[in-house]
Amino acid sequence: MTLGIMTAVGGFVDISELVFAAQAGSIFGYALIWVFALSTIGIMVFGEMSGRVAAVAHQPVFNLMRHRLGLKLGLVTLLASMVSTLITTAAELGGVGLVLHYLTGAPYLLMAVAGTLVLGASMWILPFKWIERTYGLLGLLMLVFAVSLVAIHPPWPKVAGGFVPQVPSGLSTKELLTFGYFGVAIISAVMFPYEAYFYSSGGIEEEWGPKDLPNNRLTATVGFALGSLLAISILASSAQLFGPVNVGPETPGTSALEAAIPFGKAGLLIALLGMLIAIAGAAVETCMANAYSVAQFFGWEWGRHKKPWEAPRFTIAWIGFLLLSLIIILTDVDVMTLVEYAIVFSIVVLPLTYLPLMLLARDKRYMGQYVNGPLANGLGWLFFAVVTAAAIAAIPLYVLTSGGQG
Amino acid sequence: MKGTARARNGFAAMPRKSLLLLFALASCSKGPQADLQYISQARSLTAEWALINEQSSEGKLTDTYTRVMRADLREQLQTTAKSLTQPNSRYGQEIQAVLGEPDHASPQALRSHADQLKQIEDSLESA
Repeated sequence: MTLGIMTAVGGFVDISELVFAAQAGSIFGYALIWVFALSTIGIMVFGEMSGRVAAVAHQPVFNLMRHRLGLKLGLVTLLASMVSTLITTAAELGGVGLVLHYLTGAPYLLMAVAGTLVLGASMWILPFKWIERTYGLLGLLMLVFAVSLVAIHPPWPKVAGGFVPQVPSGLSTKELLTFGYFGVAIISAVMFPYEAYFYSSGGIEEEWGPKDLPNNRLTATVGFALGSLLAISILASSAQLFGPVNVGPETPGTSALEAAIPFGKAGLLIALLGMLIAIAGAAVETCMANAYSVAQFFGWEWGRHKKPWEAPRFTIAWIGFLLLSLIIILTDVDVMTLVEYAIVFSIVVLPLTYLPLMLLARDKRYMGQYVNGPLANGLGWLFFAVVTAAAIAAIPLYVLTSGGQG
Repeated sequence: MKGTARARNGFAAMPRKSLLLLFALASCSKGPQADLQYISQARSLTAEWALINEQSSEGKLTDTYTRVMRADLREQLQTTAKSLTQPNSRYGQEIQAVLGEPDHASPQALRSHADQLKQIEDSLESA
C-alpha cells in the first residue's frame, strides 16, 4: 500500500499540482474539479493495468514498449520520455529547494543542492521498501490540506457541483483557451507517464505475483484517490481563499497559506513539511523512473532491491539523471517554467506510454486468465482517446495562452 | 453554466483562420495588450503580498516564511516591471508605486494597489 501512497502523493501532489491546482481554483473556482476526478479514474485504470502486467507477465512498461512499438518507435518514446521526466525531476528538485528556502530562509540554490545530496544519499542507502515507506508515509502530512478545506467551511454544494463536467458560461475566447489549457495541464499532471513506470517497476521490485492482484487493485484505487483528494482540496481552498482576493498562486509557497489561514503557524509548518516530502518523493520517483526506463529498454540489470554495485549501469543512470537535473536547476532557470515544460512534454508522451500497456494487458497469451475484462478494455480505450486528444491540443494551447497566462 | 456541445467544443469549432491569427498575435503583439499578462501578474503578486502581511499581522506565519515570501514577491514584481513594453504607462507607474511600499506595508494599502491594477486589467481586456 505504501507504494501506492508514494506513487499517488508524489505523483499527484508534486510541484505541478501544488501550483496548477491552486491556480485553477483561483481562476476558475470549482469548475475544474471534474477534470481532476476524470483523470484520477484514468490513472487508476492504467495504474492497475501496469501493476497487473508487472505481477502476471513480470514485464515493466519500457520492456513492453521495445517489443510492442519496435526498436525505432520505442527509442523515440524512450528519448521523449527521458526528456520529459528529466525536466520533471529538475522541477521537483527546484521545488525541494524552494520549500527549504521558505522553511530556513537560506538561499534557494544552496537549498536545492543540499536537498539533492540528501535525496541522493537516501536513494543510495535505503532499500526500495524503506524509500516507499519514508516518502509515502511522511507524505501523509499533506492531509493538512484536506483538513484545512473542511476548517474554512467552503460552500459544499458548489464544491460538489465541480464534479459535474462543465465549461463555465460567459467565457471569452481567450478565457476559454485558458480553461482548455488548464484542463489539459491537469490531465497531464495527474497522468504523468513516470507514475506508470515507477509503479510497475516497483511491483517487480517487490516481486508481485498473481496473489498480489487484489492488493494491486486496492493500492491503485485508494492511493490515487488519496492523491486526488489532496489535489482537489488544494484547488477548492484556493477557490475559497485566493480567487476572491485576486491572488493567482505562482509558487508553492502561496499554497502553504491554505493551511496557515485556518491553523496558523502549526498549519503552515505541517503544510511546508508535507510539501517538502511530497515533492522530494516525486523527485525520487521521477529520477528512478528514468533509470528504470533506460535499464529496462536496454535490458540491463536494474532494481533498488539489489545493492548499488550489483546493478552498476542502473546505479550510474539514476545518479546521472539526478546530477543532470541539479545542473539544470543551477542554471537558475525558473522552476515554474520547468513545470510548464514538463507538463506539455509529458502529455505528448502519454499516448505512447499507455498504448503498449493496453495492448499487452488485453493479450491473453501473456496475461492468461488475468487479461483485461470488458470494463478495463472499455475504460482503457476511452482514456487512451482522452490523452491522445489532450496530447494533440497541448502545444497549441500552450502557445495561444502563453502557458496559461492568458 | 452553458454545458452545450458548442460551448464545450469552442476551441475545436474555432475557424482555422482565427487560430492562425491568434498564433500570430500571441507571438508578436506589443503595447498594453502585450503587457496584459504582466499587469495580471503584478496584480496577483500585490494581492498576495497583502494577504501575507494580513496573516503575518495576525501571528499566523513564521518570521522566516514572511521575510522570504516578501523578498520573493518584491523580486518577482521587479522582474514583471522590467518586462513591460510601456513602463511609463499608468499601469507601469502603479507597479512602481507598489515597489515603493515598505515590506511591512499595510494590507489595505497593498489591496488598493491590487484593485487599481485589476481595474486597468479589466479595462484593457474589454477594449
